[in-house]
Amino acid sequence: MSGYAWLRPTAEEYVGWDVDVLYGPWPRHHRDTDLAEVRARLAGSPVAGALALSTRGPLFDDAGGNAETLRDLAGCPELRPVGTVDVRDALTAEARLDDLAAAGVRFLRLFTVDQGAEPDFPGYRRVVRLAVERGMVLLHDGDPRRFGPPLTGRGADVVFLDLHAYVLADFLLLARDEPGFRATTRMLSGPDSIERVVGSVGARHLVFGSRTPFMDISPQTLKLRYADISADDRAAIATRNVEELLA
Amino acid sequence: MPIIDVHAHVGHWPFHLTSGDADANLRQMDRYGIDLQLVSASEAVVYDAVAGNAALYKALATRPRLLGYAVVNPNRIEESATDLRRCLDTGRFVGAKIHTTYPGRLPGSPEMAAAFDVVAEAGVPLLLHTWGTEVTLLPELVEARPGLRVILGHAGGDAWREAAHAAAACDRLYLEHCRTATDAGRIAYAREAGVPVERLLFGTDATLIDPCVSLGVIRDAHFTEDELERVLWRNAARLFGLGV
Repeated sequence: MSGYAWLRPTAEEYVGWDVDVLYGPWPRHHRDTDLAEVRARLAGSPVAGALALSTRGPLFDDAGGNAETLRDLAGCPELRPVGTVDVRDALTAEARLDDLAAAGVRFLRLFTVDQGAEPDFPGYRRVVRLAVERGMVLLHDGDPRRFGPPLTGRGADVVFLDLHAYVLADFLLLARDEPGFRATTRMLSGPDSIERVVGSVGARHLVFGSRTPFMDISPQTLKLRYADISADDRAAIATRNVEELLA
Repeated sequence: MPIIDVHAHVGHWPFHLTSGDADANLRQMDRYGIDLQLVSASEAVVYDAVAGNAALYKALATRPRLLGYAVVNPNRIEESATDLRRCLDTGRFVGAKIHTTYPGRLPGSPEMAAAFDVVAEAGVPLLLHTWGTEVTLLPELVEARPGLRVILGHAGGDAWREAAHAAAACDRLYLEHCRTATDAGRIAYAREAGVPVERLLFGTDATLIDPCVSLGVIRDAHFTEDELERVLWRNAARLFGLGV
């Protein structure tokens, strides 16, 4: 094979926890990926463990999806279940969140983009309030510039899953005052995007999230490998920050 | 084995990142083993095409590993036509670049049709920013202009499926997949749609995007050794007539 250094993973690409993994049908995509294929894809990558959920919850039936996730992942030691609540039906959120808490689920993923929710929608605000009151970690899609401000001042633990390099400055302004605000490195594609976060607010504000199976994994692990940061900061982003949230 | 990056830029971008100057391009190229980079000036893309192209020429003059795209602004077509000829006459520019967002013109508009005519007449490859279903118009637009060869920069962006089918329908369309959001399976989809490996090119969007992102896409495409050579440099060398 060729001598390209980037073609083969190294130890600097190891990821203990990926917070952005799904499995199941997604009608807009040209093919679906079941849990077995997702596990195989992760097993062939530098990612050791992941927080995952079935697509049934966000797209069709939150209660049924949560039950499916808990059932399916019970036999998957490398995966931890993530719950969801449909913000279009927030009147049922309390029961859903109590069910998730009873099952020991610590992470709640919100799908505001797919469910058409805006930051000032009453249903969205209710779900967020109830989840934060229960001490859940929000895995939050959408633009942090829009969804970040209403989440401030609550002591919330939030992981923004869609932070783009273009809007990094706004995230850093938020993160300065919010120790619980984090973002995934997935779209921090600028030549020094990761370095800027580490240098300004610290590595504790970043975690790894690949969006497997919908995104390629190697671009994400290579960013971690080639980031000009310390080994300790790399380990925090790849593993330790999520372990602290899991504890 | 060399690497030719057919989609890169030199200069500042108005975002919170360090894009640097032309020497930053060279440092990144050294880091990832990229031998040759085809670049346009960010100033020309975002702000002033003629001034940006002129500034880029100065950077190219002393850096043989960088070759230029002259940016054509479809809204200034006569001025851009003259400027394209001027740039190509320097011998340091090898193609044309047209963005769609900044000039606000898409394939299908009269302005873009005139810009395609200008590039076709110049006889050099066109790197076109593509980000939407208007890519479906490209086969007809290109077939109508003998000699025009178009690289679909970002391979259509969100419309990567439509871009794949467009490229499959016209043998003068090439796909280049650089993008921040690296949707899985784009290259496999294009090949299944009928795009031969000979019309896949490697691009990075450096120094706006770190090259490792596109290298990761290549890694996950699981090319054979022969296919890898084609995608990383042979196809580009043939398209641009580069003696690598």
